[in-house]
Amino acid sequence: MGNFEYLKPRDYEELLEIKDKLLKNGILFAGGSNLMVYIKEKSIREGTLLDISGLEELKGINTQNGSITIGAGETITSIMESPIINEKVTFFSESLHDFANPLIRNKATVGGNIGDSSPVADTAPILLILDSSILLESKGANREIPLNEFFTGPRKNILKENEVIKRFTFPVPVGGKGIYLKFGLRKGTSIAVTSVALWLSTRDNHFEEVKIALGGVAPTPIRAKHAEEAIKGEKIDLTKLKTLCKELDRDMSPISDVRGSAEYRREVTINLLEKAIRKCLGAEE
Amino acid sequence: MEKKLYDITLNVNDTIVTGKVKAETSLLDFLREHNFIEVKKGCDKGDCGACTVLIDGKATVSCLTLALQAQGKKIYTLKSLGSWEKLHPLQEAFVKFEALQCGFCTPGMLMSAKALIDKNPNPTREEIREAISGNLCRCTGYQKIVDAIEYVTKGDHSEN
Amino acid sequence: MKTKVDIIGTRADGLDEKDKVLGNVVYADDFVLPNMLYAKVFRSTRPSAKIKRLDVSKARALKGVACVLTADDVPFNESISNVVGQTTEVGLLEAKHQVLAKDRVRYYGEPIALIAAESLDIAEEALELIEVEYEDLPAVFDPEEAMKPSAPKIHGDNNVIARWKLRKGDVEEGFKKADVIVENTYRTPRQEHAHIEPEAGVSWIDDMGVINIRLATQVIEHYRDVAAVLGLPQSRVRIIGTIIGGGFGGKEDVTVEVFLGLLTWKTKRPVKLTYTREEMGYGRQKRHPYILKYKTGATKDGKLVAMEAEIISDAGAYVYLSPWVLLYSTVHSTGPYYIPNVKVDSYSVLTNNIMTSAFRGFGAMQVALAYESQMDELARALDMDPLEFRKKNFLKRGSETANYQRIESEVLLEEAAKKALELLGEKSKGTSTKKIGRGFACSWQSYGRMTYLHDTASAWVSLEMDGSAVVRCGIPDLGGGQRESLRQIAAQVLGLKLDEVHVISTDSQVTPLAGTVTATRALFMSGNAVKLASENVREIIVTKAAEMLDVEKEKIELYDKTVYNRENPNKSIPLVNVIKECAKEGKMPQNLATFKAPFTDPITTDVIKDPVFADFTFSAQAAEVEVDTETGEVRLLKFAAAHDIGQAINRKRAEGQIEGGAAQGIGYALMEDYIEENGIPQTWNLTQYLIPTSKDLPELQSYILESKSGKGPFGAKGIGEPAITATAPAIVNAIRDAIDVRITHIPATPERVFWALRNKEKTE
Repeated sequence: MGNFEYLKPRDYEELLEIKDKLLKNGILFAGGSNLMVYIKEKSIREGTLLDISGLEELKGINTQNGSITIGAGETITSIMESPIINEKVTFFSESLHDFANPLIRNKATVGGNIGDSSPVADTAPILLILDSSILLESKGANREIPLNEFFTGPRKNILKENEVIKRFTFPVPVGGKGIYLKFGLRKGTSIAVTSVALWLSTRDNHFEEVKIALGGVAPTPIRAKHAEEAIKGEKIDLTKLKTLCKELDRDMSPISDVRGSAEYRREVTINLLEKAIRKCLGAEE
Repeated sequence: MEKKLYDITLNVNDTIVTGKVKAETSLLDFLREHNFIEVKKGCDKGDCGACTVLIDGKATVSCLTLALQAQGKKIYTLKSLGSWEKLHPLQEAFVKFEALQCGFCTPGMLMSAKALIDKNPNPTREEIREAISGNLCRCTGYQKIVDAIEYVTKGDHSEN
Repeated sequence: MKTKVDIIGTRADGLDEKDKVLGNVVYADDFVLPNMLYAKVFRSTRPSAKIKRLDVSKARALKGVACVLTADDVPFNESISNVVGQTTEVGLLEAKHQVLAKDRVRYYGEPIALIAAESLDIAEEALELIEVEYEDLPAVFDPEEAMKPSAPKIHGDNNVIARWKLRKGDVEEGFKKADVIVENTYRTPRQEHAHIEPEAGVSWIDDMGVINIRLATQVIEHYRDVAAVLGLPQSRVRIIGTIIGGGFGGKEDVTVEVFLGLLTWKTKRPVKLTYTREEMGYGRQKRHPYILKYKTGATKDGKLVAMEAEIISDAGAYVYLSPWVLLYSTVHSTGPYYIPNVKVDSYSVLTNNIMTSAFRGFGAMQVALAYESQMDELARALDMDPLEFRKKNFLKRGSETANYQRIESEVLLEEAAKKALELLGEKSKGTSTKKIGRGFACSWQSYGRMTYLHDTASAWVSLEMDGSAVVRCGIPDLGGGQRESLRQIAAQVLGLKLDEVHVISTDSQVTPLAGTVTATRALFMSGNAVKLASENVREIIVTKAAEMLDVEKEKIELYDKTVYNRENPNKSIPLVNVIKECAKEGKMPQNLATFKAPFTDPITTDVIKDPVFADFTFSAQAAEVEVDTETGEVRLLKFAAAHDIGQAINRKRAEGQIEGGAAQGIGYALMEDYIEENGIPQTWNLTQYLIPTSKDLPELQSYILESKSGKGPFGAKGIGEPAITATAPAIVNAIRDAIDVRITHIPATPERVFWALRNKEKTE
């Protein structure tokens, strides 16, 4: 049976203290939309639930010097509704309409979503193409690393046992277009079968900046570096688009599960990238 | 073994409710044990929305909310919405349009609808569907639910 | 100005809806009793195994556990029931069901032990203390494999537990006359009821020693099953039904009542049992998956000449209602069409998969995918408009079906199809990657149970001294307004306002038994029973009033608690005065009436040659889809349904049934699939098993036709099940129109559609 305790740290300093002492027994509990399920399914059976939902230090969406920071404790709804995100990274707030449903969005946090590190975490592909960094803090130490280096496997990451995700930082994207295409088995709440985030800019009828992130086709959310390299600098020719997108094969390693076969994931992801590029170019469907 | 219990004080429908809970007790279980049986348990995993309540004005699933986390917040269940003598316009509309059949999803559905019209007094039908997309209904096909909510937002039916 | 009550067919608000929107209704899991225990069910985690060792001692010893029961603790653990209508030619004649598994488990999730404890936490802890050792036995998961003599046997020595046939004319000769022949194999999935309220109930022993069970059930007659298991007289068990939070057939078989009866009988204390959503997944019956092999032929002027089909259903590990579901399928397998030469062979086969049983549609729904896909393809092969082709073959009043039954009601299929298509409006525009398509499907679905079951329903109606009325009727309320319809009917006949009629229902010892709320029979049966009883009460009043007013009975009208002469409305008496006079003579205005459905003789051979159903509801549904050729995703853009329901009792509720049924049919067509791999469940909760959300459904348009030719009250038919029958084929036909590919295996998930498109491209 479950053997849990509950603690609500008075402030951020106390949180770091406690986490340093309890290590992996201190479970960071923000929205709880994933954790409560694990507790009920008994995949987590014990620990101290550290209620961080009210900590101001983990909140805040700010912009300064061409960068945007999002506190790990911000809910999905608050990111969706943030004037800063809506104005400067519109495709981010638009993409979140596909994140579960409003009831979950009102409690789930971006820190929780990234910390859970599912290969289909919905905020991951967007943060990856934004070249976001993630700030990890512990008592007396901190490190800011590219988000790309954070995930190590399905539900695995480099977070140390005494560390807390503090915030995400990325430069305001300019001069291009971004989009997130999530593909699930129904329009309502669904786990992505595959998802593609794309940031694209063009110059002189050639692809200039190309950033592609994928969810659901590898052990972690990934940047599709091979495909990016192949497409960058290429002339824009819609008839050759499919061939370029097939370069994703060198980045993906999908598996088969109850939601879809590996082969299907492969094909659809390539098609989704093509769709995403067409949309960013404003081309006809 | 003896579980550790915590004292808890919650503000539900503008009344103070106290009790003892385990660390992992959900708000849903606490509410149902304290006679708020209008908050329904359909799946206990956040998939169906039958347990939807308002917490500081935001609709969310109480099965995935720690009871202890809900302290210091204003929680509203369906019982806060209207009374036999005076139904809330949403409740009137649900009856008028028959936006319910078995009624089991209705408490949660009305809470999501309330949160929507408080925030967005003039939603499109698309926006209504989005707002209730976390509340599963197996009886109605949602058609009359959308009709009822739209009806409340058109003309002077909304209440503050 | 006095008038008649005219409440049939209106949009009157249901009186219980106010309680529902206020959150006042108490559902099964909301009940709490003093000194109550909490129950849990220990279930098998193997699909086919011997139970080598079962040790519940540690669970029994846990502090707070009141009892742990295994098969040995159940007085009559096994029940044998005759599989109805089967001849000696095929397989098992007797179906065995057991309360708790003894020695052997046959499906993942099969109940092995029951626990009752002081709290749910303790009960859950006790579950983990039960020790079991399995020895895997050979298993079979494919029904076609299971039909082979070499297959492992689930029960007895034959896995085929039901078989039906249609034989009419000579199909060989028929096919010779055909100018076009279409042959296809269709597959349909296991569908989960996914009602939002879990199975739940509470039980206690009252001061008369009667075991009371209060639960969400579609069948209060299950008190007989509980009594049989406990070895008690049937009068010692009482079932009180609660307002059900959705059933659709999922609360039709025994759910928690036998377990509750057992635990209360053993502990002498109140007990509560509520299933988790996961248990609802792997522990409860599903809709039968079907394999349908169809061959249909037509002449070049569009007349159907022959149909041959082989239909196989997966009955899961226990028989339950499989033979009856198969019977429905067989009778409905031709579709609502006249076909002179028919040969159908249907089989229901046991496997080590999850049990399958009743679900809205009850077998008539799976065959609709096959027959309407066939009709669509034949029209294409003949280069004929799909509605024109169907018109040449629709059944009419007086037509004879393939089981030699004459259609007695009007058949408004052409009107329904035209209306459904018209409601789709202007065609949406597609793009190069998003193809638009439209399709429709016609269907028939019986209402009322099989006539050889001699179905009856009883109801009591009485007038109080002040002229208000009480209706007592056992029929449970599924949320479809079954109770409200009875109120409306009594009010109509007795000339009362709706809130002057009170309905008490669903108590096996207090309300006359009206049978199940299944088989689209509730309105037909209980509605007719209440109408009959109300009319009998009216007769008592009218007879006395005729005396008092000195006028012929036929001229008397009842309205608003006044009894008057229709030809001279000023000659009137207050209803209460008439009642007083009746009471003085000891002739109370009350009546217990029993309505009998048409009775036929039992089927004695496996070839169905006699009427099986009282009547059918004829329907048409139309859909417009958008198919994304890059992902295979099918989006339903528009949907319309037209049904001849005979006479609407309440228009809003009828629409609600149509919309709700369509929503379930849309899920069935596009996303619902309860998957098991080698008997191990893969989709056991609502995260993996997907039902439509508000974002997955378009505006659902419904249209009601009223031929007034039904056998229900005021000429009504039924709508509960007919609402779902035509949906999947309408969508599949629309997909065919959009991308020129026929999906024969539903749900038409994006992946299935994607590969079907890919295969088509390859062969071009």
